[in-house]
Amino acid sequence: MTDVIVVEGLTKSYGHVSVLRGVHLRVAAGEVYGLLGPNGAGKSTLIHLLLGFLYPDSGRIRVLGSADLEAQRRQIGYIPERQRYHNYYTPREYLTFLGRFDGMPETILRKRIDELLELTGLTAVANRYLRTLSKGMIQRLGIAQALLTDPDLLLIDEPTSGLDLDGQQELLVLLNDVRQRGHTVLLCTHRLAEVEYLCDRVGILTNGKVALEVNVADVRHMTGSMVVQTGPLDLPLRQRLEMIGREIRCDEQAVVISPHSPELQAKVLQVLIEANVTIRALEPQLSRLAQIYMRTVRGEPVDNLLVTDQAPLRAVLNEAINPAPTDDIDPLLKRLLQRREGDSRQKDGHQ
Amino acid sequence: MIRTGKQAILLTGFTLLEYLRSGRFFLELTIVIASYVVFLRPTGTPMNAGYLFTVAGIFGPVLAILSTGFMIGLGDRPQGYIILSHNVSRGAYLIGLFYAACLVVLVMYGILCLLVALTNRVVDLDLIGWFLASLPLILNIGLFSALTILLSPLVLGTGWRLFVLALIALALSSNVIGGPIINQLEEINPFLVTILRAVQTVLSGPLVPIFYGYQISISGSFSEVSVWANLVAQSSLLLAFLGLARYAFNQRDLIFSVS
Repeated sequence: MTDVIVVEGLTKSYGHVSVLRGVHLRVAAGEVYGLLGPNGAGKSTLIHLLLGFLYPDSGRIRVLGSADLEAQRRQIGYIPERQRYHNYYTPREYLTFLGRFDGMPETILRKRIDELLELTGLTAVANRYLRTLSKGMIQRLGIAQALLTDPDLLLIDEPTSGLDLDGQQELLVLLNDVRQRGHTVLLCTHRLAEVEYLCDRVGILTNGKVALEVNVADVRHMTGSMVVQTGPLDLPLRQRLEMIGREIRCDEQAVVISPHSPELQAKVLQVLIEANVTIRALEPQLSRLAQIYMRTVRGEPVDNLLVTDQAPLRAVLNEAINPAPTDDIDPLLKRLLQRREGDSRQKDGHQ
Repeated sequence: MIRTGKQAILLTGFTLLEYLRSGRFFLELTIVIASYVVFLRPTGTPMNAGYLFTVAGIFGPVLAILSTGFMIGLGDRPQGYIILSHNVSRGAYLIGLFYAACLVVLVMYGILCLLVALTNRVVDLDLIGWFLASLPLILNIGLFSALTILLSPLVLGTGWRLFVLALIALALSSNVIGGPIINQLEEINPFLVTILRAVQTVLSGPLVPIFYGYQISISGSFSEVSVWANLVAQSSLLLAFLGLARYAFNQRDLIFSVS
């Protein structure tokens, strides 16, 4: 598969502040790649470097097979983090101007604008000034403008920044539609739910480098850890439980399984039942991806969280995750996944 | 080159439409009316061309600096990233802002001239004379606009901006520290004075077309070859400023101000 984005040894500093310190990144055609990182990690800097707004101190960038980034911009759609537009235009006027900048013929442009306004649900407000539109509408306009030339590559920076839960859901559903059109996407975010919902692969950008890359399918839905709330646990019982595996830690009224697996959970529950201990609750904690992310950002080892190459474990996990997501999963992700399940059921029904 | 030109014109239209709709032009219009009322209104005594172009020669560049500042403000916003991501080159972006600023000033100059023509007839000026005298003035407007763009934070970093400003100050200093100070300095260190005068001469060279252009529009005399040569020099200087601004803008990281 051809790589749409190739970044090698990229460094970038602002004065004495070094932001990127040797980033290596490859995004294949048709792939949706999520770049996770805390605020200030350099995600937006990387996007601006890919667009040619910034120049690297060293390293190599090739986008769509070319190092001439300015020349490639027509094939790139860009949705910035803080979406600010020219307030004294209507969405239709604004898109018309942008299409003309792109050199689109007028007849094609008019048709395309109608399609995009329809897709983003902005047809009703197409002739209202942008300053009168809600933040959610402005975010959707961001998607419309990015898709104007039907670009090969979409660079999306913190798409749901500043939106309420409904707005986030709406936008992510829309981005999921976009994703299914086969665009290559680089999504920069610090929201794990967005990555889990939209991305094929995720890279964690920390300390100026992509410290870790994970296939999202391998960790999607995986609960990171489980807390079993119990009645009082005496010392011998706690020692017995901790003997099951190094993933298990006990205190006086709880057992923590981290990273969680259904096998370990079953063993713990068995021991607790045999010991006639009251089990008050099972509380899933952070998702696996969240754990991986947090440990990577803190510079801690993640080996025991990366279980993707252990086929039997994966099989067990896949079996375990097929049921509906737990209540403790990110509320946005939960809503999105429920919607996706609904959609696929509807689709199956039609077929 | 053609693509850049086309994009620059498109961007000019785009910028001007926002400029008009946002009502920013009211400030310029107020300045025009104020300039007319204070300096060019009918006073009972006939006005001559020299006086008109003395006022217009100051009005034009001042308004050019102001309007270009506004346009740079419009260009130096995060909204610019969206525009640039739509296949607009950096050069077209900058030139578009320049065109927009110049057009606004030219329209305002036109309004000022119209007000004068309608209410306060200039005794020694016909239509052709008006047009010819306006030529160096218009080029000066372009020059001041280009210089303002060059010296804007959008184009030059702080260090370079201060450096260029220092060069301009040094070029203009021959008028300020001409007589007594230079004489005193000559007694202390003649070599330093020689160096200073050489630097002043070199640096003030590019400014000559601006001042001479101002004189030409006031005198209204276009019979000498040097007058036409000065128009060429003004045009060349304008292209040089724009070229320098474009080069500097191409070389730097694009980090728009967050308002």
